[in-house]
Amino acid sequence: MSGSYLARRFGSALFTIALIVLVNFVLFRALPGSPERVILRGTPNVTPAQLEAARERWGLNDPVFPDQFVAFLGATVSGDLGYSFVARGQTVGQVLAQRIWPTVILFGLGELVAIVLGLALGAYSGWRRGGPVDVVGNGISLILYSTPYFLLGMALLLVFATGLRWFPTFGMLTAGATYPDIWARLGDFVSHLALPLATVGLGLVGQYAIVMRSSIVETLSEDYVTTARGMGLSEGRILRHHALPNALLPTVSLIAINLGYVVAGAITVEVVFNWPGLGTLAVEALTARDYPVLQGVFLLLSVSVVLANLLADLVYGVLDPRVRT
Amino acid sequence: MTAAGASWSPPIPAGRRVGRFDLLVRLVRRPEGAFGVLILAIFAALALAPDFFVGPLQTAVTAHGTRLSPPSAAFPLGTDELRRDMLNLTVHGARVSMAIGLLATLVTVFIGAVVGIVSGFVGGRVDAVLMRITDFFLVIPTFVLALILTPIIRDLVGSGSTEILGIRMTLIVIVIVIGITSWSSSARIIRSQTLSLKERAFVDRARVIGAGSGHIMRRHILPNVINLIVANSVLVFAGAVLTETTLSFVGLGDPFQPSWGQLLEAARSVGAPGLGAWWYFVPPGVCIVLVVFAFTLVGGALDDLLNPKRRGRA
Repeated sequence: MSGSYLARRFGSALFTIALIVLVNFVLFRALPGSPERVILRGTPNVTPAQLEAARERWGLNDPVFPDQFVAFLGATVSGDLGYSFVARGQTVGQVLAQRIWPTVILFGLGELVAIVLGLALGAYSGWRRGGPVDVVGNGISLILYSTPYFLLGMALLLVFATGLRWFPTFGMLTAGATYPDIWARLGDFVSHLALPLATVGLGLVGQYAIVMRSSIVETLSEDYVTTARGMGLSEGRILRHHALPNALLPTVSLIAINLGYVVAGAITVEVVFNWPGLGTLAVEALTARDYPVLQGVFLLLSVSVVLANLLADLVYGVLDPRVRT
Repeated sequence: MTAAGASWSPPIPAGRRVGRFDLLVRLVRRPEGAFGVLILAIFAALALAPDFFVGPLQTAVTAHGTRLSPPSAAFPLGTDELRRDMLNLTVHGARVSMAIGLLATLVTVFIGAVVGIVSGFVGGRVDAVLMRITDFFLVIPTFVLALILTPIIRDLVGSGSTEILGIRMTLIVIVIVIGITSWSSSARIIRSQTLSLKERAFVDRARVIGAGSGHIMRRHILPNVINLIVANSVLVFAGAVLTETTLSFVGLGDPFQPSWGQLLEAARSVGAPGLGAWWYFVPPGVCIVLVVFAFTLVGGALDDLLNPKRRGRA
């Protein structure tokens, strides 16, 4: 991989992250009411002296640019995202840390399930275009694609938790339960995870199948596939060795680009199942107008998505020599 | 702007001259296009005259059912926790969801078209800066940005009971936020079309006659990208309906003008799935899926019809 390709990718990711930090900075200052009032929110009978002390203490008497911005940038880079308005005494970093793992587990596994199933379904239906799997699969994919995740979640909840009682209805572990050993705890966790995971998987599988299908269809009309056919290779061999590897390329970058949209679904699935991750945290912060936490969630999710895209670009560069110019 | 330039109509290349009704006819000749148009026509009728179908929007005061009752002869879709008729709420939800979706689409496509045409036509520094911003919006999770922007803008404009075009301020803010956060892919598509149009001879001819950049963009580029804008709008509409639904679902809707997403939020907070009250969330849910599905079908069919490269491909 050439140095300039790497440099350009890293440069553009860094620029995007800088813009994210700038947006965070500007938005907090766009809030109505002066910042010191926001900080002193809930404190009764604030005297002018207290206000002035707060302004001085928080650096609000300095010019907005560059002093305040540089301070903000420095704090953000060193991981200091300020204090939660609601969880008194806790930093935003601490609040986020408690919520990050449930989200990582739920969405990591959900993406994995959806990628494997979606790509397999898409590749097969594209290969057997017009066949029964294609017609039924494509229809289901399109409907799943049009369904908001949380709606899917509510339907699964109704059928499998309320109706059939196979799974619990909310949370990550049964409240107040004590476990004889680690396995019982894990079992409880898995039964709570099943429905949200199924929701995420089903929600994503449709889009991935659609992308993979059109990519395979596109690839199958390429000259090298015709050449392979002309050479008398078997259909299975053409699919595995010629069409699939090439069709996977655009799918990799589309999956990465889609991550930004997946985040929206992530938030709502967590809300439906009361899954204690970043999504429910965002909605709690939204309801309580806990702006520092909301901004922390925005920063964390945006930077993760940017980094995932950077990773996808690098993987793409390794897989496809043509883009390394 | 010269008089000659103003009266001179831009040549649309042969083969791409597609009349509005002609396009509609070709659209409904395709089975998926016809199905999509039919669904959208039904929902458009519901959205235009909800009072005609189910009477005025019921409130907690005018409701007369029993609490959370399943579908019956009197209430074909059951009732909610405030004893309101779900059929009434769902039909009125069509109006709110479709109106927000339409307005948000107009804002989104307007921003996307302006950025795309200016960026592609002017080029150079302007293009570089605009595309950097576009890429920023393409890559970040815009929904989370919308989540932060909505309460901030709402606090700035002050919600209250102000109405614009009969739509409450809270929902106008949603329209603006969807517009700000979802124009980027439209801008990208329109820019790439503009780039190729810019090289055509008729643009050179207009410039030689003495037309300014603004005039060329409005009179020569815009008419030639309008097909693309129409096809893109349909897909943007689907996205806008979904975004509005999701924003309402996390509690940013307006209970006084309930959209389908707002109804779903109410169903969730009452615990309808846990109570087995399927009639509370299935009607608005099915409506959302149908509308988005229909827009996706029509958008795909239009894309096939208008984009010569895709003709003949599935």
